[in-house]
Amino acid sequence: MRWLGLFLCLGVLGVAASCGKQTDGDVPDMAVPNRGEALKGSAATRAKRRAFDGAPPVIAHKDFRMACTNCHKPKGMEVPGVGFAPNMPHGETTGLSAVARCVQCHVFKTTDKKFRQSSFAGLKQDLRTGKRHHPLAPPVMPHALFMRENCQACHTGPAAREEIRCDHPERTRCTQCHLARRTTTEFTR
Amino acid sequence: MTADRRDFLKGIGATALGVCAFSCGDKQEAERIAGAAQQIDPSDLTWGKAPCRFCGTGCGVEVGVKDGRAIAVRGDEKSPVNRGLLCVKGYHLPGFLYGKDRLTHPLRRQSDGSFKKISWDEALDLVAQKYKEALAAHGPESVSIYGSGQWSVFDGYAALKWIKGGMRSNNIEPNARLCMASAVMGFVTQFQSDEPMGCYDDFEAADDIVLWGHNAAEMHPVLFSRMLESKRKRPGVRIIDLGTRRTPTTDYADMYVEFRPGSDLALANGILHLIVKNGWVDEAFVKENVVFRRGIEDLKTIGYGCYGKNAERYGFKDKAKPSSFAELKTFLDDYTPEKVSRISGVPVAQIEALGKLYGDRSRGTVSTWCMGVNQHSRGTWMNNLITDLHLITGKISKPGSNPFSITGQPSACGTVREVGTLANRLPADMVVMKKKHRDIAEEIWGVKPGTIPKKPGYHAMDLFRAWSRGDVKVMWVQTTNPWMTIPHLSRIEERHGDDQFLVVSDMYPTPTTDRADLILPAAAWIEREGVFGNTERRTQQWDRLVDPPGEAKEDAWQFIQVAKRMGMDHLFPWPDDNWHEPMWEEYRKFTLGRAKDVASYKQLRETRGLRWPVIDGKETRYRYAAGHDPYVKKAKGVHFYKAKGYGEKAAFWLRPYHPPAEEPDNEYPFWLCTGRVLEHWHSGSMTRRVKELHQAVPEAYVELNRADATELGVKDGDTVRVASRRGSLELTVHVDRRGRPPRGSVFVPFFDEGRRINLLTLDAMCNISKEPDYKKCAVRIERV
Repeated sequence: MRWLGLFLCLGVLGVAASCGKQTDGDVPDMAVPNRGEALKGSAATRAKRRAFDGAPPVIAHKDFRMACTNCHKPKGMEVPGVGFAPNMPHGETTGLSAVARCVQCHVFKTTDKKFRQSSFAGLKQDLRTGKRHHPLAPPVMPHALFMRENCQACHTGPAAREEIRCDHPERTRCTQCHLARRTTTEFTR
Repeated sequence: MTADRRDFLKGIGATALGVCAFSCGDKQEAERIAGAAQQIDPSDLTWGKAPCRFCGTGCGVEVGVKDGRAIAVRGDEKSPVNRGLLCVKGYHLPGFLYGKDRLTHPLRRQSDGSFKKISWDEALDLVAQKYKEALAAHGPESVSIYGSGQWSVFDGYAALKWIKGGMRSNNIEPNARLCMASAVMGFVTQFQSDEPMGCYDDFEAADDIVLWGHNAAEMHPVLFSRMLESKRKRPGVRIIDLGTRRTPTTDYADMYVEFRPGSDLALANGILHLIVKNGWVDEAFVKENVVFRRGIEDLKTIGYGCYGKNAERYGFKDKAKPSSFAELKTFLDDYTPEKVSRISGVPVAQIEALGKLYGDRSRGTVSTWCMGVNQHSRGTWMNNLITDLHLITGKISKPGSNPFSITGQPSACGTVREVGTLANRLPADMVVMKKKHRDIAEEIWGVKPGTIPKKPGYHAMDLFRAWSRGDVKVMWVQTTNPWMTIPHLSRIEERHGDDQFLVVSDMYPTPTTDRADLILPAAAWIEREGVFGNTERRTQQWDRLVDPPGEAKEDAWQFIQVAKRMGMDHLFPWPDDNWHEPMWEEYRKFTLGRAKDVASYKQLRETRGLRWPVIDGKETRYRYAAGHDPYVKKAKGVHFYKAKGYGEKAAFWLRPYHPPAEEPDNEYPFWLCTGRVLEHWHSGSMTRRVKELHQAVPEAYVELNRADATELGVKDGDTVRVASRRGSLELTVHVDRRGRPPRGSVFVPFFDEGRRINLLTLDAMCNISKEPDYKKCAVRIERV
């Protein structure tokens, strides 16, 4: 029984460690959450891959030299030895074919070294959930909609973290009820 | 195995601890990132508009500012250029402002080679003194300014006015001479007015988009997205990629045509041959709108600007003589598909397919090109030939049918081409060689008649040769990095003479500041107010959104202050706290009524840019086209009204094939082509300081064909030595990655200051534009 407990403990710690460290030596400090961890870890780990809130995340894995959509499919895909590949939030019909050429905006990380030090501190990613007008009202989106038209990519499925997971994925026209907030100012005449 | 209940609980406890260690750590990380208490809502930032700092596309961005620092950027959904989308450089724009090694104070070189901080007053006095001494001792030919297509209009206009209207010298050149001079001379020789007739709307209207040596997927990613979107919406659209190596653009092309370096001249003539032979000429259009011209074609007379006498000063001048359609027919007899195939390596079937594509007048055709055509020892000829294809088929000045030269830099058009920061030019298509043009400039500038000299100054290539000879005594370099980007760098590598003085204004230390006598810290992009003009004639204004670091100042301010110290206050009579708008309105006078009419400053402030000519506040999408261009009074068709010298018609130029200046041989058996990569801008001094961009492509490499790599006994990731007759470099081999050259050909990007590929390149140049050819020279590859 002693060994069983130790085994379980090491197992969990191992998972925790592997979550914080990419197995591929090319990309030492990138983390790809696996299916289970995605629920808790995806937003935080993805935020680490952005220069600022709104910047396209750096690709979390090495270049497999294949089409991104091989794994980043509509329902995502568990990639053995790598992690969970979520769907893309970009809609088909906006963003000038943004889904056509992913590496126009998302780049691979091939080294940890920096050319020179920088004091750039980008806007932190807002991980808070959207506010409601009243307890029964649908929450307002806390982010812009542009390039995030495919709500299901982040709000349903294994990549959706708990706080923002949608409990009514069958209703596909999200903007019918959820508005995107563009300003914090109020209407004045 | 034995275990009591206590042990089991211990195990569970440890497990729970483990789970907690993971989940709590994760939660803490999330909280750290979220920083719930100090989280800034994006809508609480101050967002200001600006055009992107990098390529010539001119994407609109909105910059988010908090506490005086840019902390976010987003694509401007209101921008008609990019409609909210950016590329990876654009998305990481703010990062380039905050490298810890920003230059923040003027630095004077000491006798031991080190730099000492000095005040702006001392620095400006010193520059004024050096210019005055050189002018007094050696005359106006001994002073110079070397600027950039990344200058804002204000920087370029201040430089031009000061040097031509103040110091009476024409020695002003931009790095754009290395970038789009061939396009300028293409348009000037054919329409007697620079810049394209089409606009980005062409990509949504064209049926066929033909990219001539233009890796748009990497170099103009947002324009390429517009092309792909056009194809997605209209599946009949075809993208044709003509190149000397497979690039990411090729992956999306309906047809890839690979030609031998330099043989695009033959290929274009081969297409013309088929159009004429098959009766696909738009005879009515040609009769009404086209004249034929021919220039000097003898190879020995022309040369390449890099051998013998031409290697010191290259001043070849073309001479136009009238030609005709009948002469064209005879001329093209020499370019049968079979012969062109032998020269170019392009299969006859593909040449025929291209002939049919251009010849099919039921389909709109847009041709785009950039450095592949411009950085060419016959770059102006290639520009002429591509436009010829459109003139002879009448596919010009129509939505979806245009020859469309795409510019590399954010204001190569707005500043260099429109303001005219070149050795021979003045604003709005005017040149120093014409008295009438000089008179106009002198009147607007309020300087004495006869101030502007009529002899053009050194073009950029000769300017640096004159510098290395010691003929030029003072040079002020701004917003560019010539000690990385001039071809055949070893010619200017040595430390200059004691009687020479090099001033460099930049935001970061570079190989060019390493050679400076005085370094001036520059305010960049949104740290100052500015105007850029993009590829589609769109002028875009932005306000200062953040303060520059330390004592950094904008380039135009630096010029103005030195001019004032030289007693030239009259050139810049505006108040120190409000000179941008009055300077713009003075510059605007050059453009009004000359079909280059730029918008008022007020209008620029209020819009996401406007495409000139702007008449009665309205922009022009298609130049020379009835119904679009207010200067065209015809009810329909086109009118090339700027080409007075051709009877207001466009000139079709007969241009032959000439081989490149240097070709592979037994000693140096590979072609070398150089260029950019998506992630880096030019010499990398800005983008390499952005962590994400540097970590994506940290160093230059050499792309090698797999069969060549195998034959050489090297593989992807190995190191090889690439050597030309001029220098050598050790580089990591890339095989079958983003670019895939054919056998016998290699590619090296030029962004890496630790691996300067221009130590190897040849300084051959276009006979007319004097733009160097970075795409063709011979190298050998050695295992290390």
